[in-house]
Amino acid sequence: MLPAGRVEGTLLCHVGPHRIAFEAGEVASIAGPDTSMVSAHRAFQGAGGAQRVLVTATGGTVGVDGLEIDSEVLSVLPPSPVVAGASGGSLRGFVITRGVLWPLLRLESFQRYLLGLAGEGA
Amino acid sequence: MAALESETTRQSYLVFACGSSWYAVPAEAAAEVVTFPELTRVPGSPPHLLGVFAHRGEVIPVVDMSLLVGGVTAGSRRAVLVRLSRGTLALTASNVAGVSALMGPLEPLGPSGVHVHLRGPVKSGSRDVAVIDPEGLFDHLSQGG
Repeated sequence: MLPAGRVEGTLLCHVGPHRIAFEAGEVASIAGPDTSMVSAHRAFQGAGGAQRVLVTATGGTVGVDGLEIDSEVLSVLPPSPVVAGASGGSLRGFVITRGVLWPLLRLESFQRYLLGLAGEGA
Repeated sequence: MAALESETTRQSYLVFACGSSWYAVPAEAAAEVVTFPELTRVPGSPPHLLGVFAHRGEVIPVVDMSLLVGGVTAGSRRAVLVRLSRGTLALTASNVAGVSALMGPLEPLGPSGVHVHLRGPVKSGSRDVAVIDPEGLFDHLSQGG
């Protein structure tokens, strides 16, 4: 078991020009796009679709443009209180890999956050 | 002590511009002026929170004061790092005038929102400067302001 400040196995996702990451263990499966998924573009005030869909353990779906798998053990840098409440509290921290910073999100709560945004926009 | 009282100031402040407006932070809270790298946008963050960058092991949020008060972005890659006990803030700076002793009242510049945490009016030379209460601004931003 890794310390709370580390993560092993990360899905690095691209959403337009933006980046987000999830712990691989939170992703039940990866699927192709479908009409029921919610796009991560919503969290960046965008309206793009998705090429890949991350499926949560409870069947929720989050669409992203592309993804890479990182198998390294990464340190999780804690979020500032100024950003901790963004994304409905789903922000776990940040990881540095590929030479850049990635927001590490909790998939289930991020999916709920996106659904909430979809409700606001409806 | 970075918090401000409602009184006339005699402290030293770092004076900087963001867009067409001038701001000041207590000199003891202003850690350094940096040129920040490409920022990482945080999903769900408001427009004035431009993104974050890693600096000396800390992930620092970058705030555009001009956007925060309802203006247009200053578009600067430089920022004043404001270090508080709870974390560090980077405030974008299109110009840095230096450290000055400012004179003037420190009344809130507005009744609500971020303007509660901007005090003045004070003068730095011929400039009107809004003095930032860094603790109050940090609280405001942490509450999604």
